[in-house]
Amino acid sequence: MSNYFYVSPEQLIKDRAEFAQKGIARGRSIVAAIYDVGIVLVAENQSASLNKISEIYDRIVFAGVGKYNEFDRLREAGIRWADSTGFTYSREDVDVRALANYYAQHLGDMFTEGPKPLEVEIIVAQLGGSVRPTKLYRVAYEGTIADEPHFAVVGGDADSIRDRLAAVEQEVHDLPTTLRNAVAALSGPERTIEVSDLEVAILEDRGTRRTFVRLTDAQTAELLGV
Amino acid sequence: MGLPLFSASEDPGPSFVRFAEVSGLLPAAPQVRDAPHATTVVALRYAEGVVMVGDRQATAGYIASRDVRKIEAADHNTGIAISGSAARGMEFIRLAQLSFEHYQKMTDADLTLEGKANYLSPIIQRNNLTSPLVVVPLLAGWDTTRHEGRIFEYDGAGGCYERHDFAAIGSGTPFAESALRLGFRTDLTREDALDLAALAIYEAGDNDPSTGGPDFVRGIFPMMVVLDEAGFTELPTEEVRGRYEAINRRRTEGQGVAGGSLR
Repeated sequence: MSNYFYVSPEQLIKDRAEFAQKGIARGRSIVAAIYDVGIVLVAENQSASLNKISEIYDRIVFAGVGKYNEFDRLREAGIRWADSTGFTYSREDVDVRALANYYAQHLGDMFTEGPKPLEVEIIVAQLGGSVRPTKLYRVAYEGTIADEPHFAVVGGDADSIRDRLAAVEQEVHDLPTTLRNAVAALSGPERTIEVSDLEVAILEDRGTRRTFVRLTDAQTAELLGV
Repeated sequence: MGLPLFSASEDPGPSFVRFAEVSGLLPAAPQVRDAPHATTVVALRYAEGVVMVGDRQATAGYIASRDVRKIEAADHNTGIAISGSAARGMEFIRLAQLSFEHYQKMTDADLTLEGKANYLSPIIQRNNLTSPLVVVPLLAGWDTTRHEGRIFEYDGAGGCYERHDFAAIGSGTPFAESALRLGFRTDLTREDALDLAALAIYEAGDNDPSTGGPDFVRGIFPMMVVLDEAGFTELPTEEVRGRYEAINRRRTEGQGVAGGSLR
């Protein structure tokens, strides 16, 4: 005979939240920041092939921390959603807010109804253009969605990174400055991160439809001035 | 169930097979209307790439449009041209463009040129074997691993064949291909290839009622595209105009006769 113990909803939510937070805190962080003519995303990532930052659509980027297989599935689902929406309507009808909402709903469902909450936190960002504004959203493991006006931090020790970044990013800068600030905030006062351990991508208008570009180590080093 | 009687237009006549189809004993064969192949597009290899040239006319019994783009970049290194149903052709291009981009975003890697060519086969097959609105495309591109231009043509059932010299699609094919067959050499330069491909479309426009030639009145000229190491490049209208003015001048001087040479 099996025993069923009463667990209060408060306790259940707390346990699940703790479980997810633990998983996310183990991973390394990602910073996304808006600069004068684009959006830059910086991740600490030792792997050169398992990406944390990816292109979703012409002007939309995705970044995820936590369990790789879980955020990678979310990334794929986002690409499928964006490509099918653009195919059905038009490329201009693909909007990051709708995507962020879908992610929030899915993460919320998995948190309350799934076998276990997803141990991920994600950033989705959109480069503004003639049709849509620049937007930066952070979606947490339980489906909380935050609209970030200037920069977003997820994973690892997000709070202290956010504090460090807030101290220097009081206004919008150019790309080299923003990148330097982001990397300094990521590494903190005690250590430096090698350029080879950084994954950097930007969204910027270059006269082409697709705005996503991965920066090579050489390009990153040049922008950082190291 | 009454007697098997038919109206005059549906009467199967003495054919039992037709009767079986009409009465539902056999599945009806799709009604293949005479789908208009209102196009001529050619692709031609040269030493450092491929050129594609295509006319601009859409025909539906009359001239439906004079400035259709039948060649599009499927991605940075690949061009797709269409012949057959305009509606299905446009959808096909959209689907191909999206498929290649989708693959690249999902896997963070480019499809190979051959991978792209093969991927299109079942799409063509599915369309053409289930619909009378047939599409026959042509794929050309710069192969980034082999460092050469390559051409893939398709038959109506989706069969994919690589061509090492040139290929033509659409209703003007016999005329365009004749010009290409006579003028092709294995050591063509980019300029030679552009001249020959432009002439092939001129010939098709001159002979095939469903292919448009250069339109000096409206300033609409065939599309000319180069695919080489730099990727997909469409020539500016002024350059295309210059080439067709030269051909036109020579033909006018010859009083409409090519005169035994490819000019």
